[in-house]
Amino acid sequence: MQRQPTLLSSCARAATAAEAGYRISVPEFTRRSSRVIALDEQAAAVVRRMAGQRWGGGHFLVFESAVPDDALLRLAAGGTALLSEELDGADAVVMVATASANAEAASIIGNACAARGIMSAGLVVPAPGPVGEVVTALRPNAMVLVVLRDAADIPEVLSALRV
Amino acid sequence: MLKQEINELLTQTGPGTPMGALFRQYWIPALLAEELPENDCPPVRVKLLSERLIAFRDTEGRYGLIDEFCAHRGVSLWFGRNEESGLRCSYHGWKYDVTGQCVEIPSEPDERQSSMCAKIKLTGYPLVKIGDVLWTYMGDPRATPDLPQWEFAHVPAQQTYTSKRWQECNWLQALEGGIDSSHVSWLHSGGLNSDPLFRGARGNAYNLADRKVFFEVVESDGGLLIGARRNAEEGHYYWRITPWVMPSFTMIPPRGDHPIHGHFWIPIDDENCWTYSYDYHPVRSLSAAERQAMKDGHGVHCEYVPGTYRPLQNKDNDYMMDREAQKRGDTFSGVKGISMQDASLQESMGPIVDRAKERLVSTDSGIIMARRKLWRAVEALRDEGVRPPGVDVAHQMVRSAAMVLPKDQSFVDGCGDALRVRPGEKHASV
Repeated sequence: MQRQPTLLSSCARAATAAEAGYRISVPEFTRRSSRVIALDEQAAAVVRRMAGQRWGGGHFLVFESAVPDDALLRLAAGGTALLSEELDGADAVVMVATASANAEAASIIGNACAARGIMSAGLVVPAPGPVGEVVTALRPNAMVLVVLRDAADIPEVLSALRV
Repeated sequence: MLKQEINELLTQTGPGTPMGALFRQYWIPALLAEELPENDCPPVRVKLLSERLIAFRDTEGRYGLIDEFCAHRGVSLWFGRNEESGLRCSYHGWKYDVTGQCVEIPSEPDERQSSMCAKIKLTGYPLVKIGDVLWTYMGDPRATPDLPQWEFAHVPAQQTYTSKRWQECNWLQALEGGIDSSHVSWLHSGGLNSDPLFRGARGNAYNLADRKVFFEVVESDGGLLIGARRNAEEGHYYWRITPWVMPSFTMIPPRGDHPIHGHFWIPIDDENCWTYSYDYHPVRSLSAAERQAMKDGHGVHCEYVPGTYRPLQNKDNDYMMDREAQKRGDTFSGVKGISMQDASLQESMGPIVDRAKERLVSTDSGIIMARRKLWRAVEALRDEGVRPPGVDVAHQMVRSAAMVLPKDQSFVDGCGDALRVRPGEKHASV
């Protein structure tokens, strides 16, 4: 194996702990454009509560109904919008669901995300009833599924994702 | 991203810190049993959770883990003499037993010995051999939990092998590497077909054929179950399930009939940790070839700088980066070996990565949830004295699994008992 010589000026060893931890402090990315969509009424209550907090620009929505080749969404802040409009410019979609979520909503949103190459995730929040069916419904439609035991974790998960 | 104050909360484990208090609720690996191979053998310096300690094995075979420094003038007891049931300071001859109790002060008159000694006791922690590991508990003695029940430490000796290596970064970024299953298809892609402890498994073909991994994260009593799925035959998914048990135990999903492996990450201080790497088979002895491969640094193990537990590939030599091997595709990063592929990148993040600057994506949900669970447990312990998940030995009776399941079946239901220890039964693997 032929390797270039390891020089004191170039190898990781040359850095002190403080130097190794230093990072250029200039934002390296623009704001993320996320959509958080509740799939059922119980999840809608959670999403509405979260919409009142400060976020980085995410939109908080509730699935209302299917319409031909699209879906109607209610904005947590008031008003309605089409799913296709909301997905324009979105780079991540987080579906929030409880045990009573409707599978059709997950399928419509998941397919729309897949067609546009948008990352989709599902958060199953605690509520009465078994979550097996909603997890099965979300599985083909979300690249990541998280089944939570505590709804208090949702803001932290969204914050970590810079919603 | 994580706020700076939460990053500090989770990464600082010294005495008096909230995360340090959490670690002090558990039995944790202190050193390998091979480091104290016989009675009256040389003592070993051990730094754990930023405390400088010394481990020794006395004339009767009792293990001790005590403050490294003599109570008299602060000399390191590493220079001491391990003899006649105690560790004697080589400066003035003060002697301590395995609990840290001073038992002899030669300069004092014989008649005052016992009363003087009774007043002097170094901090001492229990040190117990289970499997290949010496375990310690550094918390309140009145709340000592049951001894650890990890399966790798309890199977017969011929079925298990454990190594450790020094990792030059904070424990949390090392742990997060163990929870992050999405890097396997990239960073370790070269090893699936070549490493003797991985190759040949049917599951490897699924791994390599479908690099777009989907994840499901489910909370468990002890931590998390992280399921990674890829496409398998029509109507089926190939699932790999990684359990994380708090604070820092993970088990990698198995491949074929190879032994199961995993890690413990134990803070040395805030900028260094020990990575303990175990391999075991629940129902059969490790073959001579398997054991030799582990000693040679294959799988999750590594080669060492002779006479140390420092990896041979380390930041002083740029991890012996081989750009030609990288170009050929033998390795994805150019670094040889699964363990050093991980360590090189985790150390490259700096001693303590600034998580306020990171940009996580949804496939990082396992990491996000692990941080959240740690944070929640730290606060519950600090504010209400709640015993954290993972202390209860029932939480430790876990196994990883690899299975092919119908698409409409959840991995929790599909794997069922396969995610629990079943003594005498083989692990679920593909």
